[in-house]
Amino acid sequence: MIETTASPFPQLRLRPWLGIVATALSLLAMWMGLVWAPTDAVQGDVYRVIYVHVPTAWLAYLAFVVVFLASIGWLWSRRPWFDALAVASAGIGVLFTGLFIVAGSIWAKPTWGVWWTWDPRLVTTAVMFVMYVGYLLLRGLSTDFERRATRAAVVGVIAVVDIPIVHLSVLWMNSVHQLPTVARIGAGPALDASMGLTLGVSVLAFTFVYVALLVERIDIERHRQARVLETRR
Amino acid sequence: MSAPQRALLIAARELFAERAHPDGLAAALTFTGMLVLLESLAFGPGRAREPDVASGVFWIAILFAAMLMTQRSFDRELEDDAIDAVIALPGGRDALFAGKAFALGLLMVIVGVAGGALSIFLLDLEIALPGHLAFVVLLGLVALAPVIVVNNVVALRVRARVAVVPILSFPMLVPQLIAASQGSAAALAGDAAVALSWGALLAAFAFVYAVLGLTIVPAAIE
Repeated sequence: MIETTASPFPQLRLRPWLGIVATALSLLAMWMGLVWAPTDAVQGDVYRVIYVHVPTAWLAYLAFVVVFLASIGWLWSRRPWFDALAVASAGIGVLFTGLFIVAGSIWAKPTWGVWWTWDPRLVTTAVMFVMYVGYLLLRGLSTDFERRATRAAVVGVIAVVDIPIVHLSVLWMNSVHQLPTVARIGAGPALDASMGLTLGVSVLAFTFVYVALLVERIDIERHRQARVLETRR
Repeated sequence: MSAPQRALLIAARELFAERAHPDGLAAALTFTGMLVLLESLAFGPGRAREPDVASGVFWIAILFAAMLMTQRSFDRELEDDAIDAVIALPGGRDALFAGKAFALGLLMVIVGVAGGALSIFLLDLEIALPGHLAFVVLLGLVALAPVIVVNNVVALRVRARVAVVPILSFPMLVPQLIAASQGSAAALAGDAAVALSWGALLAAFAFVYAVLGLTIVPAAIE
């Protein structure tokens, strides 16, 4: 039996603050990225795209890992909240994967000379994007609440296999994309300290933006679920 | 009856159904043969013989053929509601996945051998390492089956299933497609170490998706 009385997440007091903190951190990250961080000796100011590109990549990974965990949660407990979390995170993940690809493309043009090349990292990222678009499409084609949630959960569990493939593709195959700069196995970040700090603040800001969007999106989905389950009674 | 026996029973049922009405196998064989023929027209006979091109086209043909055959198999289940009886049995859901994946793997071996022989004959391919090629092709066929079966199960009673299954499956099968194409090309060109490493990757993917399928498919079948 599906319960419909769960309260929205999280409790109301925190919600406005999430948006405020996300906005403040985003403004700080923007200032640090555009003004405070030094110019790169090789790439000049073009490298500053990193402060959008890397955080959007991180959010894409994070969002899809959350989809995976929420999918397991749904399959395990059949609580609608997990389904709401999964669909909310998948939608935001697709959005940020799109931004990740666009930001990468903007960076690629001045550095590689092309907007797009058939590089393993680029192709696997595009594949990840299509995979989660398929996830959302599958949800759109199902009308029954429980069946839709279960089908989507199975895809949400399977699709997570692509995340390590995207991240490690630059190590496994010949790639024009640079090797990991921050999350390096057995070594520290290969960045100047001030650049690293700016990147850290950008990642934090984007993470707060994700959480703020997620909370609002879950709320919308919970209302939608409540309407669907109400009409069933 | 043990779980492996149930799976083998489903696989045998699938193979008998295919023998009685081999429309899925016939479509897959025709499709693969057609693509091999079109390859030399599209690329020209010289380029079509290059290991990269020949193996890439072969695996794309196999991928589409596997999709055709699996969809036909599930169509058959749905046409007379036979699937409901299987699901209702104790352990029927696991057996359905394992049996279908096993049967699809076996049928794809037939398609793969026929398609491969046709490629070798028509394109006059030179195979530097036949044993390695057979190893990669076998693992490639085994690695495709679990993903396609899982996605067919997920989209079993979804509208537009014919479109949804490829949309879900193809992105998931990209790593297997790359590994199978690169491994086959290496075996054709005579690079044993590269062929074996891609083969190992295919085995890993087959294992991961088989375990995932057995774990979550029972929850997905309606």
